[in-house]
Amino acid sequence: MKHKIRFTINGDVKEIEIEPNKTLLKMLREDLDLTGTKEGCGAGECGACTVLVGNKPVNSCLMLAVEADGKEILTIEGLSDGTSLDPVQESFLKHNAIQCGYCTPGMVMSAKALLNRNPHPKEEDVKEALAGNLCRCTGYQRIVDAVLDTAKKRGKK
Amino acid sequence: MKEFEYLKPDSIEETISILFQYGQKAQILNGGTDLIVEMRDKIAQPEYLVDIKAIPQLNRITYNKQDGLNIGATVTLNEISNSKIVQTNYPILAEACKTVGSYQVRNRATLAGNICNASPAADTAPPLLVLEAKVNIISLVGEKMIPINQFFTGVKKNVLKKGEFVTSITVPPIKDKWTGAYLKQGRKKDVDLATVGVAVVCIRDEVRIALGAVAPVPIRAFKTEELLKGKAIDEALLEKIVKSAIAEVLPISDIRSSKEYREEIIKILLKRAILQAKGGHTL
Repeated sequence: MKHKIRFTINGDVKEIEIEPNKTLLKMLREDLDLTGTKEGCGAGECGACTVLVGNKPVNSCLMLAVEADGKEILTIEGLSDGTSLDPVQESFLKHNAIQCGYCTPGMVMSAKALLNRNPHPKEEDVKEALAGNLCRCTGYQRIVDAVLDTAKKRGKK
Repeated sequence: MKEFEYLKPDSIEETISILFQYGQKAQILNGGTDLIVEMRDKIAQPEYLVDIKAIPQLNRITYNKQDGLNIGATVTLNEISNSKIVQTNYPILAEACKTVGSYQVRNRATLAGNICNASPAADTAPPLLVLEAKVNIISLVGEKMIPINQFFTGVKKNVLKKGEFVTSITVPPIKDKWTGAYLKQGRKKDVDLATVGVAVVCIRDEVRIALGAVAPVPIRAFKTEELLKGKAIDEALLEKIVKSAIAEVLPISDIRSSKEYREEIIKILLKRAILQAKGGHTL
């Protein structure tokens, strides 16, 4: 039996009928065409599917779509305002913190959540916050640099 | 994922009657970080999935000096490790919660879930064992409190019977001054299951020891604790203690480590944890 759920997605209120046996990740990609969020392992190990639910990063592969009822969800598509990128995204570009790009949306969402809760993280904090996001290309250093630089720039403003 | 019916009761009473009505066909959905993977892999195939996260009473942390700490079933591991109450009064529990999975996982995973899943490697089990926590269980029959060292019955098995579910976990107060340590060895620093986990608590001349990932269930090493009673710690005694601890456990060889490696790590971590808990010493 389908369930009617109502939630906020990237600032818009949405109502949808959804099967209970569908993960939030599948609903985002298949029903809402928000394909920026990626499926890596599908088991909560790689973090490619990271989105923010109520401002907190979670693995969208480990959450059912029906659980999103009443929640506020932010995906990678909700970060830029159409013409300009989010400072975290800008910083990833500047630092070449991207190679194949598959892990990037999840990385950026985890970084965004970290900077929301801790505007001045130390390198250790960044590593801890991104520990659940695997990247097989970059070796992580440029990603860590990009996140630290975002915080530094923001501090100057 | 197989089809199922999703239910979201907003009271404990309603949950009890749903579980009574559907019995084995129903399963509790809490943080879902283990269950949803099992459902994806068709290891778990509930016909009714009962989401308990809308029940307000289950989402609280309370503390007072008489009754100690009470952590509701749906409180997440991040909420626990960030809680000033837990950090101040039971630091080893806050630390252990922080070693489970990734930050994303800890935003969903719960203490009750970590215990109910009953993995031998559950990171929160060793600290709960040395803190002598109690698991609060409810069903149509009534409420009961089970000591944590009687809760685990085998690999991924616990004492919960049909119709029962965990509402909270109570950590009793410790009247005397105490110190403790939780040490975990994994293959990498973050986001890994424990190869060995060791928790130690020292209260006056009493030392409590619990070990994870080295037996079918997380265990209290009661016999080894006896050897320590009222004794001053020296190298000779530590050697005796680690030998005794090895005799109390039953480590296996698996994907994460060999039995022999686990035994070596128990020796090292246990010595470190005792010295750390006793204060000032390092090894």
